[in-house]
Amino acid sequence: MTLAETQALFHALATGEEIGAAEAERLVLSTPELPAAERIGIYAGMYASRLVDALRADFPKLAALLGEERFRVLGEAYARAHPSAAPDIGRFGRHLAGYLRAYPARGRPDLSDLAALEWARSEAFFEAPAGPAGREDLAALGAERFAAARLRLVPALRLVRLEHGVVPLWRALEDGAPPPPPVPGASAAAVWRRGFDVLHAAIGPEEALALEAALRGEALGEICGAFAGREDAAEAAFAALGSWLDEGWVARVD
Amino acid sequence: MAFTRRHIGHGVGLRTVHFTDVLGGAPPVDWVEAVSENFLSPGGRPLAVLEKVRRDVPVVLHGVSLSIGSTDPLSEQYLDDLARLADRIEPAWISDHLCWGSHGGRYVHDLWPLPFTGEALRHVAGRVKRVQERLGRQILLENVSSYVAFREPEMPEWEFLAEVARQADCGILLDVNNVLVSARNHGFDPLAYLDGVPAERVGQIHLAGHSDRGRYLLDTHDAEVPTAVWDLYRETLARVGPVSTLVEWDDKIPSLSRLAAESARAAAIEAETLAPRRRALP
Repeated sequence: MTLAETQALFHALATGEEIGAAEAERLVLSTPELPAAERIGIYAGMYASRLVDALRADFPKLAALLGEERFRVLGEAYARAHPSAAPDIGRFGRHLAGYLRAYPARGRPDLSDLAALEWARSEAFFEAPAGPAGREDLAALGAERFAAARLRLVPALRLVRLEHGVVPLWRALEDGAPPPPPVPGASAAAVWRRGFDVLHAAIGPEEALALEAALRGEALGEICGAFAGREDAAEAAFAALGSWLDEGWVARVD
Repeated sequence: MAFTRRHIGHGVGLRTVHFTDVLGGAPPVDWVEAVSENFLSPGGRPLAVLEKVRRDVPVVLHGVSLSIGSTDPLSEQYLDDLARLADRIEPAWISDHLCWGSHGGRYVHDLWPLPFTGEALRHVAGRVKRVQERLGRQILLENVSSYVAFREPEMPEWEFLAEVARQADCGILLDVNNVLVSARNHGFDPLAYLDGVPAERVGQIHLAGHSDRGRYLLDTHDAEVPTAVWDLYRETLARVGPVSTLVEWDDKIPSLSRLAAESARAAAIEAETLAPRRRALP
């Protein structure tokens, strides 16, 4: 057996759902006290548990909500559908929110949204620091340059589109309180970092549109246009921009 | 072709639970080992902590995902990220494992053993050379604990390890606990292993605990270094001389002070084991 064949067979056995005794015998040595299939089974057990542990670290609220056994079953099913594709095990959970949308045993319909929020928090934690710009940088533009100026947002900022309002659910799980029932309805949350603390907050539909425009690199005129339907459009836009600057979401004003 | 050993003393693994301790002052050990993959991100608290620790003591970068023995291509992205981290941290050295952990682009995040064949030897040695060229430095490769032996091995593990180190001109990170675990699981004599390792290429030693599962030993790194590992450490030191030594503890991690005490015990054992030899020198 070549090295490539050896690795292909071992990988298939140790990451598959069952280990065939005959195939195991063909690959590795048995001893009276420990047959080949059991030996490979040690690796299979560690493979699954390590991946589930990695998910638990990145999705602590989802794990708390589901409980140990249901979370393990979910994690192992997810690992079969989306095997890790990066050297950093911290990237393994990036498809979990999408996977949960179609996961048959999910129970609550808001698990995918909770996972999306937790994943954004995990990503924000590891992003590079940048800026921040302040209100004075916006003021320095003057009326002439304002509409065409662009905001460079910090790498640690995320906008999460949600189909359920999971911010109260996250809070209840954080506090160890009983989880509230799912709240259907489109909403959005922003996730960011202050120092090394990751924060998130629900944001309204206009601010979410404005933030999306800013993340796309649109000019300030376009960003403020998100509030155009409001009577107090200018005040609302400036209030939002001011809070972005105060929270350190803006690295630079160009 | 040669390997130059540097003795930087006795250290411990830097783990998240100790971040608050090491931010409050220099760690109470000679040096720390950081798992490279935990610090490859562009920012965040782990990297900031590592940079602070680096200002206090030497840091060694110890990887788990190089997958040097895989038949997959080496990950250029991983090597770029590792090189960038090395530029930033200036580690005393970089190590990884003599194993494979990816197949078909899928990472298993484990240290899977290689078949000890001539084909695997040539494959690994060639890749180590490429990694060393890319990083501009020699690396150290660690022997892993194993629970399987592939059919038709062409050489014992220690010969495979020694030949990889010689052919690739790299160093060896000798994990004494892993020697003991594999010796029990495969029925070989751990002293034969130590006798087969080229002493001049051993640049670092790992010490750790394991679990006895009855029919086999499991490399759990979740307990203090057991007597049998300390005994094998003495045997190792007698063969290779003084070597930078690290106590690894990855699960049920104790306080930093308890870890430092284990590391100090390693230093004391080194002094005690090598004292007669030193006295005998002219």
